[in-house]
Amino acid sequence: MSDGPLIVQSDKTLLLDVDHILSTECRRAIAPFAELERSPEHIHTYRLTNLGLWNARAAGHDAELVIDTLIKYSRYAVPHSLLVDVAETMSRYGRLRLEADPVHGLILATTDVGVLEEVIRAKKIAPLLGIRIDNETIAVHPSQRGQIKQSLLRLGWPAEDFAGYVDGQAHEIALKQDGWKIRQYQEHAAEGFWHGGSGVVVLPCGAGKTIVGAAAMAHAKATTLILVTNTIAARQWRSELLKRTTLNDDEIGEYSGSKKEIRPVTIATYQVMTKKKNGVYAHLDLFDTHDWGLIIYDEVHLLPAPIFRFTADIQSRRRLGLTATLVREDGMEGEVFSLIGPKRFDVPWKEIEAQGYIAPAECIEVRVNLTEAERLAYATAEPEERYRYCATTRTKRNVVEEIVAHHANEQILVIGQYLDQLDDLSETLGVPVIKGETSQKERERLFAAFRTGEITCLVVSKVANFSVDLPEATIAIQVSGAFGSRQEEAQRLGRILRPKADGRGAIFYSVVSRDTIDQDFAQNRQRFLAEQGYSYRIIDADDIFQGKF
Amino acid sequence: MEIRSYADYLRALDDAAFIAIFSYRPDLITPVPPDIASLAVRASSAPSLARAVEALNKWQLQVLEACAVMNEPFTEKEIASVTEKSALFVLPGLIERGLIYQDKDGLRVPSTLREVLGNEIAGLGPASLGTLKLKKLEEAPDAAKKVLDAMFWGPPRGAISDLKKPSAGVQWLLDEKFLIAFNQQTVVMPREVALYLRGNKVHRQLEYVQPSVTGTARDLRNVQLAAISNITTFLRWTEEVLNFWAQEPATALRSGGLGVRELKELSAHLGVDETCAAFVAEVSYLAGLLTIDPDDKILPTHQFDIWLTQSVSVRWQSLASAWYISSRMSGLVGKEGQKNVAPLGPELDRSMAAATRRLVLQLLNENSAIAPDLDSLHQSAQWLAPSKRSGGLQLDYVTWTLREAEWLGITGQGVISAYGIDFLQGGDNESINSDLPQPVDHILIQSDNTAIAPGPLEHEVAQDLALIADVESRGGATVYRFSESSIRRGLDHGRTGEEITKFLAKTSKTPMPQPLEYLIVDVAKKHGKLRVGNTASFIRCEDSALITQIMGDKRLEILGLRKIAPEVLICGHDAAEAMNVLRSCGYLPAAEDSRGLLLSGPRIQRAQSKARPPRIIGEIDRPDEIHIQGALRALRTGEKSSRKQSTMRNIATEALGSLPRTTANETLELLSDYLQNQPSTSLSIGYADNNGLVSHRIIDPLKLAAGSLVARDHATGEVQTFRIARITGVAAL
Repeated sequence: MSDGPLIVQSDKTLLLDVDHILSTECRRAIAPFAELERSPEHIHTYRLTNLGLWNARAAGHDAELVIDTLIKYSRYAVPHSLLVDVAETMSRYGRLRLEADPVHGLILATTDVGVLEEVIRAKKIAPLLGIRIDNETIAVHPSQRGQIKQSLLRLGWPAEDFAGYVDGQAHEIALKQDGWKIRQYQEHAAEGFWHGGSGVVVLPCGAGKTIVGAAAMAHAKATTLILVTNTIAARQWRSELLKRTTLNDDEIGEYSGSKKEIRPVTIATYQVMTKKKNGVYAHLDLFDTHDWGLIIYDEVHLLPAPIFRFTADIQSRRRLGLTATLVREDGMEGEVFSLIGPKRFDVPWKEIEAQGYIAPAECIEVRVNLTEAERLAYATAEPEERYRYCATTRTKRNVVEEIVAHHANEQILVIGQYLDQLDDLSETLGVPVIKGETSQKERERLFAAFRTGEITCLVVSKVANFSVDLPEATIAIQVSGAFGSRQEEAQRLGRILRPKADGRGAIFYSVVSRDTIDQDFAQNRQRFLAEQGYSYRIIDADDIFQGKF
Repeated sequence: MEIRSYADYLRALDDAAFIAIFSYRPDLITPVPPDIASLAVRASSAPSLARAVEALNKWQLQVLEACAVMNEPFTEKEIASVTEKSALFVLPGLIERGLIYQDKDGLRVPSTLREVLGNEIAGLGPASLGTLKLKKLEEAPDAAKKVLDAMFWGPPRGAISDLKKPSAGVQWLLDEKFLIAFNQQTVVMPREVALYLRGNKVHRQLEYVQPSVTGTARDLRNVQLAAISNITTFLRWTEEVLNFWAQEPATALRSGGLGVRELKELSAHLGVDETCAAFVAEVSYLAGLLTIDPDDKILPTHQFDIWLTQSVSVRWQSLASAWYISSRMSGLVGKEGQKNVAPLGPELDRSMAAATRRLVLQLLNENSAIAPDLDSLHQSAQWLAPSKRSGGLQLDYVTWTLREAEWLGITGQGVISAYGIDFLQGGDNESINSDLPQPVDHILIQSDNTAIAPGPLEHEVAQDLALIADVESRGGATVYRFSESSIRRGLDHGRTGEEITKFLAKTSKTPMPQPLEYLIVDVAKKHGKLRVGNTASFIRCEDSALITQIMGDKRLEILGLRKIAPEVLICGHDAAEAMNVLRSCGYLPAAEDSRGLLLSGPRIQRAQSKARPPRIIGEIDRPDEIHIQGALRALRTGEKSSRKQSTMRNIATEALGSLPRTTANETLELLSDYLQNQPSTSLSIGYADNNGLVSHRIIDPLKLAAGSLVARDHATGEVQTFRIARITGVAAL
C-alpha cells in the first residue's frame, strides 16, 4: 500500500492531503483533469467530472495518463469501477470532430459511424446539419458551430473543434512592462488560454485578471472586443490598458449607454449589449460589424443569456472568459464550457495569498442580538419580509458605527442590499452613499476621492459588488446581501483583497442577526470562501461594544 | 423386460462400482431404496437420469447421444466408429454413472434415457421399420439429393405442401422409403438414412476439447489491491444498508420483497446503481443479517450485531459463502425487457444459480492469471455444462456472476484474487485482516464545517460521528459534513452539546474551528425548547394555590397528576374519570371541550362504536305457493340425476372388481411387458381421477414415456396420457 497524498473516493471526489510532502507535485499532476471544489486548511477536495475529463482531453491528456496519475498518488487502492468510468468518459471526447472543409465549409466528421448515426437522429441536432457528404462526414451550417457544440455536449458526445479561428483584423498590441512585471501565474494563465484557443481563466479577485486579459491581447495582436459588467468597470479596463500596454487613448473605445465608440479595442457593457429596442437587441450587431480577433468576457459568471445565445454564433473568434468564482447559481457552467471554452487555469485563493499577490484577509462574523421588541416583530413578520426585517435591524447600525470608529484610520467600505438601510447608515456615519441612482459622474468622483484618501469611508449598494477597483480599501462591512449568494460574498471580499502598500491585511466584517434567517443565509454565503480556506471568526456584538475585537 | 435386465446388471455389480455410481448420482440413495429392483427403477427414472446427464460435459454428452441412437445391443467399437477413437476413454465413465450398462449381448442404455435426451437426438429421426437399400441413395436423382442435403444434418422433419401431390424428389424418396410420411404436411427421414449420409457419424462436429479461456493479463499486485478495495467497499455497503434500515425500516411489498421506490432510496443512499444496491441487500438477506418481520418491516437481525463484532475476514467469509451456495439470482432485479422482480422477494430462485457460480469460479480459478473475456468464459462453461432442459448455461448468469464476484472482492479487476482462491479452497482468509488499510482513530475538522477521516475509521468513532454529521463522500476516506440538522440528530439521540464538543475535540487532530463550536452551541440552546407529549386529559385552574392543593392531595394520587405549568396539570386518565375522582374528593370541576368551551350539564353519553342490532331468531313465515313449487322441482331433478349416476357407478365397479390391484412398479413392468411382447393387445385398466375415484377403461397401449402411458382410450377413441401412478391395475382383455 503506497502512502500517497491522494485519496480517491468512490463518488469521484479526490481528497488531497496538503500537509503531505508530495502534495504540490500531486496537485500539479491532477490539476489538468480534476476540478478544484474546496480548498480549506488540510484536505482539498477535487472532483472528477465529465466536463473536467473532456477538458483534459481537449488539452491533450489521455485516459491512461489520468489513470496512472490516480494510481501513482493514491494512498489506497483506487476503485476499479471508477477507473473504467474515467476511461469510458474520456473516450467519448473527440469521436466527433468539427473541421473546416475547403468544399463544404464546416463539417462534422467521425471514425465511429455508430456515434454519428446516433447524434444525427437527435431532435436537437438534426436542424443544425446540412447534407450528408459520405458515411463518416456530414456538413454543418457554419453559423451553427456553437449551437452544435452545445447540443453535442448535452448528448454526452462532445465534439473536438478543429475548425480553427479567424485571426481577425491585425492590430499591434504589446505589454509595456515599465516599473512593473507580469506575474508568473498571470503569464501561465495567458499562455494556457492561448494554447487552448479559447477558454476561461479563474483567478481570485484582486489577483489581476485585467493583466491576464492584456497579456492575451498581446498574444493575439488583433482587434479586441471586451465585454464588462458596467461603465465603471469599462473605465477601469481602459485606464489599466493604457497603463499596461502600448495602446494609446485613441485606440480604445467605450461602447456603453452614454458613448458609442468603436475602436480597435472596444469595451462594451453587458447592459448595452442586451438592451432591446422595439423588441430586438439593437446592439448585438457590434459582434459582427467588426472583424474582431479576440473577445474577452469579464466576470463570465454573470454572462447574461442573450449574450450566450449570440456567443454561439461567433465560434470562429477566440474567446477568453475571466472570473473569480465560476459558480453560477443558475447552473449554466456547461454553457460556459461549450460556448466560451473549457477552464484553462484555476488556482486556490490561498496559494495566491501565500505568494503575496492578494492581501491576507480575516473574515469576522459579528452576531447581533435582536431586542425583545425586534424579536417579536420578526416573529410576526410575513415570510417574504422576514429577511429584510432582520437584515436591516437597527442594532446593526450601532455595531457598524462602533466598527467604523475602531478603524478610524483605514479605508472602509460599508456594503448592503437595502437602500433605506444604506441611506440611514450614510446619515448616521456622515459619509456619502453610492447606489443605483447615483449618476455615473458622481460615482467616479466619489471613487476617485476614496482612492486618494480624501474620503475614508463609503456606503455602497450592490453596484459596487464587482469590477470596482479600490486598491487601498482594507475594511469591508457587510450589513445585508442578496440572500444566500455565495458568489456575492466572495466578490465583496474581493473588493479589499488588493495587496496594500504597507502589506497590511484586510478585514471583512459580516454583521448578522442572531437566531434569524439572516444567520442561515450567512452560513450559506460563507460556504464558497470557507471552501477556499477562509476561516470565519464569530464575535458577539456585545464584545464589540466593549472594544474587544 | 428392460428394467429386469437393468436390475440384473445392477445386482451383478461389485461394491466399488456401487460406490462409484452413488458418488456420481447421490439422489439414488436419498432415501435409500429397499431393494435393488427399486434402485433399478429409480436409476432408470427420468428425473434421476436427467440429473446425471446434466453433470456431463459436452464430449461425454456427445458420446452418450451416439450410444442412444445405436441399435441395441451395441459395442464400444461401434461407438468409436460413429464418433471418434477417444470415445473409448469416455465410455467407462458413462458406465460408472449407470448411463450405459452391459448385459450378456452387449451394451445398452436405459430406454428412458432417450426421452431425457430429447425427441430427436443429435438431429436424427426414428429408426426405419423395414430394411433399406441404402446403396441406392447414391443413385438418387438431383431433385431428391437436394432434399436429402437439406435434411440429413437435422432436423429430420421436413414440411411439404401436400402429401398427395409431392414434388418429384420427395416422391422418389417416399417410394424408396428414404422418407416416411408423418402426416399430410410433414415427412421424416429415418435414422439409418441420415447416418449413412453423415458418413456413419452421429455428429457433424465433435467437441472433445474444452474451449480455452482467453483474457487480459493483469498485474497481480494491482489485482490484490483492487480486491481488498472491493472487500472493504462491500463490507461498508452491507453495514450501511443495515444501519439505514435500522433507522428507517423499509416496508416489504404485499407480494414480498422490496419495492421499486425503496430500492431507489437505498441506491441513492449508497451512491451505487440499483442492481448493486439490490445485490447488497440480497447478500445481507442470505447471510441472515436482515429479515422481513411479520409486519412486513425489513429490519436487521441480532445476527447483524454479532457480525459487527467479528473480524473482517469472518465477516467477509460469511457473506461470500452465503452468496456462493445460494439458489437466488439477484441479477434478475431490474433486468431490462422483463417484468419487475423485487429483491428479497420470492421470485429470484433459479435452479442453475449455484451451479453457474461454481462453474464460473472454477474457471476463474483455473485461469488465475488473466481477467477472462466474457465470451470465452461462457463458451468454456457451456462445454462443461452443455445439457440442458433449461436451454444451456445463460450468458446473463455468467455475466452476473462475474459482476457479483467483483463486487465481493473474490476477483479484483476481473482476475481471481488470493482471497478468492483461498475461499474456494475452504481457507479462512485471515490474510484479509492484515492486508486491510489500518483503521484510523482520528478525524480532521476544517473550517468549512467538514470533517475528514483519512482512512477507515474505527467502528465506534464512526458510529458516534455518524450521529452528529452527514456523510458526504465515501471511499478510502470518509468526508462528514456538520449542519444544523445533523447536530440536532445527535441531540435527539441524547447527546448534549457539551458532549459533542468534547467528543470532537478529542477525536480531531486539528483544532476545532470556531464557527462549528458556535453551531453546536446554537443548536443545543434551541434544542428541546418546545416540548411535545401525549396526555389523556388536563386540569387547569387560574388559581395556582388550588393547583398546588390538588398536587398535594393524597387521595388524588391514583390520577397520576403531573404539573407542567403553574396553572396546568396533566393526567393519564380520561377526562370523565378524572372528574369523577375529583368530585368524589370534594372538588367542583367543570368539563371543557377542545376549543375551551365549557360543557354545561352532565354529559349524556353515547357509544363510540357503530350500531349493530342482533340477528332475529324466531318462527319462519309460511312460504307461498311459488316457493313450494320451485323447491319441489329442484328436488325431483336432483333425485333423477343421482339415481343415474349410481347406476353408472355400479357398472364400473363391477368391471373393476375383476381387476387385480398392482403397485406402480408392477404396473410399469406389466405394461412394458405387454408393449414389447404383445403390442397389439387391448388392455383393461383401472384409472383413478383427481378425487381418487377409480373408473374402468379399455385401452390400446402405444408407448411408455416419463412416468406415463400413452394409449388410445376405446370409450373416446382419442389418444390419451395415463399417469402410471394412477393406474390401479392392468389386465388383458
